Amino acid sequence: MITLTHFLAVSACLFAIGLFAVLVRRNAILVLVGIELMINAAILNLVAFGRYDAQFYGGQVFALFAIVLAAAAVAVALAIILNVYQQYNTIDPNEIQDLKE
Amino acid sequence: MTLQAFLFYLLATIAIGSALCMVTLRNMARSLFLFFVVLFAVAGLYIFALADFIAITQIMVYVGGVLVLLLFAFMLSNKTLLNELSAGTRHFVSLPAWQGLLISGTFLTLMIYAVTSLGRYEPSWIARAQEQATTIAVTDNTVEQLGIHLMTRFVLAFEVVSVMIMMALVGAAHLARKEPNR
Amino acid sequence: MTYPILATLVAVLSPLGAFLLSALMGRRSVSRVLSIASIAGSLLAAIYVFGQVWEQDILHAQWTWFTIGEYQMRVGILLDNLSVVMLLLVPLIALPVHIYSVAYMAGDPGTHRYWMYLSLFCSAMLGLVVSDNLLVMYVFWELVGFASYLLIGYWFTKESAARANMKAFIINRIGDVGFLVGIGLVYAQFGSLDVRYLFGEGGAVTQALVPDGIWQFEDHSLPAVWLTATGMAFFLGAMAKSAQFPLHVWLADAMEGPTAVSSLIHAATMVAAGVYLLARLFSLFDANVLTIVAWVGTATALLGAFFALTQHDIKKILAFSTVSQLGLMMVAIGTGHVAIAMFYLVVHAFFKCVLFLGAGAVIREMARLRDRYRLAFDPQDIRAMGGLGKRMPITAASMGVAALALAGIPLTAGYLSKDLLLVSVFKWGLQRDGLVTLIPFLLIAVSGMTTFYIARCIFKVFFGKLRVRVSQGYLDTRVHVDAAPKSLLIPMAILALAALFPLFSRQPLHIDDLWLVNGLAAGTVSEASFGVLHSLLPVFTTALSAALALLAWRWYVRGRYQADPSQWLYRLSLNQGYLDAAYQTIFVRPFIALGRAAKAFDTHVVDGAVSGVANAGRKLAAAAGWWDFRVVDGLVRLVGKTASWLGNVFRRSQTGRVQYYMYLMVFAVLLVLIYHLVNQG
Repeated sequence: MITLTHFLAVSACLFAIGLFAVLVRRNAILVLVGIELMINAAILNLVAFGRYDAQFYGGQVFALFAIVLAAAAVAVALAIILNVYQQYNTIDPNEIQDLKE
Repeated sequence: MTLQAFLFYLLATIAIGSALCMVTLRNMARSLFLFFVVLFAVAGLYIFALADFIAITQIMVYVGGVLVLLLFAFMLSNKTLLNELSAGTRHFVSLPAWQGLLISGTFLTLMIYAVTSLGRYEPSWIARAQEQATTIAVTDNTVEQLGIHLMTRFVLAFEVVSVMIMMALVGAAHLARKEPNR
Repeated sequence: MTYPILATLVAVLSPLGAFLLSALMGRRSVSRVLSIASIAGSLLAAIYVFGQVWEQDILHAQWTWFTIGEYQMRVGILLDNLSVVMLLLVPLIALPVHIYSVAYMAGDPGTHRYWMYLSLFCSAMLGLVVSDNLLVMYVFWELVGFASYLLIGYWFTKESAARANMKAFIINRIGDVGFLVGIGLVYAQFGSLDVRYLFGEGGAVTQALVPDGIWQFEDHSLPAVWLTATGMAFFLGAMAKSAQFPLHVWLADAMEGPTAVSSLIHAATMVAAGVYLLARLFSLFDANVLTIVAWVGTATALLGAFFALTQHDIKKILAFSTVSQLGLMMVAIGTGHVAIAMFYLVVHAFFKCVLFLGAGAVIREMARLRDRYRLAFDPQDIRAMGGLGKRMPITAASMGVAALALAGIPLTAGYLSKDLLLVSVFKWGLQRDGLVTLIPFLLIAVSGMTTFYIARCIFKVFFGKLRVRVSQGYLDTRVHVDAAPKSLLIPMAILALAALFPLFSRQPLHIDDLWLVNGLAAGTVSEASFGVLHSLLPVFTTALSAALALLAWRWYVRGRYQADPSQWLYRLSLNQGYLDAAYQTIFVRPFIALGRAAKAFDTHVVDGAVSGVANAGRKLAAAAGWWDFRVVDGLVRLVGKTASWLGNVFRRSQTGRVQYYMYLMVFAVLLVLIYHLVNQG
């Protein structure tokens, strides 16, 4: 029997993995991927809870918006990463530690 | 074990396993393709949560949009970037820093603990919904319902999101332009 | 103010004037003229005073020195027989010595100092003999000692001279303590220091009775032992000044001074001051003190003669001879014959002065011989001399006469004085029993030794051949030795003539009716006739002297020397009984050690306390400074450092690295989560 708890557990795992990727990886694009993974875990959470809301379909609508927003965020983030690379010649987040002159 | 449970566990395992591999592999191309697998598995999990439209949307937007964008960004970047990215491919698996592992592990533990303690007593509104049978049924037409609610209840959010997408588009395009004097 | 008193003042003050003028004017040759003129003036004044006072009334003039409350201190001049004899004697000896000094000290740099000090001495000595107050006498006594110190150390660049004058001064100080104690005791008992009041005819001292062991005078009384103590105190002063055993050690070293000084001060006048003091204060001494005086005198006479037997330095022979003769004078006082002692003193002054002046001439010629031929020997060593009689006839004759006088050979005044002394002492001794009967016989031994040592001296110096040692044996005896210049010879000859009998007696052999003795004997015990001793004793002593002189002739002129220089008696005599070494060990070293200890105490404890306080203050200041720097400022700096440390700590969280910020954020979220979960329970 698949209960709500299973979904939440899977979501938690994905979220933790995504967090790990954000904290540890030395590549900005992979950090971005980690963020995306975390967003996905959150959307899974939303959808799992939204199953019990047939009145307003709130969970699923929210999930829809989240997906869209995540896509927009990726686009902008990639543009930013490009700019950063042009400035610092590296996309290792550890190397990028100077403030603007 | 029923087929339902088995499928669920399969999808969950694929998702989590791919995610794990994705965050530990040094080779970036392989990480991105594994992300691809993760997204598909998560879409399958959406279907299990009776959110079929969301699953399709996920595949179309995430896989077809975001992932493709990432792949293009990775593949079409200039040589030095590729070199640098592939520079650290000595080990198959990158050894993680212990702080990250610790924090993530702690977070996971806490979350699992919270989740399992939630399972002990269900929130009241979920119990009420189950009694009143206002949960989403398998036979519901989610597309129709989602469309109705988007246009009536959440129309403001819908419009704002569309404006936001446009802003993001404009912003990204501006940010990524090539300056004449560079 | 009568003329004699005025003349006395002139006599005393004119050398003092010469001293002051020379001191003010510095190094110019007029100091010589001033000194001679002043002493000549003193002589004239003294002759006049002598004529006025001898065997006539006593003259006494006093002035008030100071007044304390109702007590008036009166000091002045006392002229009686005793005073005027000394008053005449001193310039009479001093004037020839001054004239002698002109040639003797010629060529010596800084002679103006010499004349200055000589005048100071003469003035002080004259003041000593005419003062009528014990305190004033003490002042002059000290002055005389001081002048002696200055003159012994005249050649102060010589180490031995500097040490000798310190020795003389310190030993004189020991005696001066005694003098001062005596003054105090006399004043305590009698309330006065006036000499005439105390010691004159029927004076206070003779009126003081000693019934039942209490020394009683009017309303003062002390136990009788204080009478002996007072006498001993004054005798201590005389002992130091007149070089009695055991305080005689300074006189031999005092020969470091110029020979003219030795002749005047350390033979004729200053050393006689002790005898004069005892003569003046004679009525103070009781039987105990007089016995001690006699014994000390005998011991001194014996030791002085014994040491003189073997000395090599001509001046040291004469110095020990002086010590011995002073001992004889003390014996005379101790046996009660004050007049005889004074007579002996006067005669001794003449012939001892001649002996020293002659020794000075000899030394001078030997030094010139040494310089002329560039040799190296001590010009005062008699072992290098010999055969000088032919080269320096007048010197030899004068010294010969003086030597005969010292030995007591008839036809000299010395015979008269020595004979009178021996006869009186024999008479005194035979009247007593006990150990004191030995004294006369010991004096005969002294007389014999005296003849021997002076004969040895004369024979070795003037007879035989010159024995200057050079590298290959002896110097050629045909070398040129001058006779002394006339200005040395004339004073010597005149004084030598005075050592013959005519000055003192009408006939050469009999010792009755000597004008000097009769003049001084009033008031003292005297024997009119001596009986068989009178004839027996002079014959015996003269025969003894002749025999010993013959022995000396055989030994020193013929060269048949029979004594062994390494024998212990010889060495004991040569080293002056090792007394100097004994004094060095017993007294000098402990005092020097005490001085060093005191200095160490002063440096380390007293100054150490002062610098300890200073150090403590400094350390306290350093501690306060440390406290202020480290603790007080440290607190302030600590605040600053804490702020900066905190800043450093916090700066580390601003790394600029995104993932680091993410860590912090997630960590904070975790904490909040844990908190909520724990609270939810």
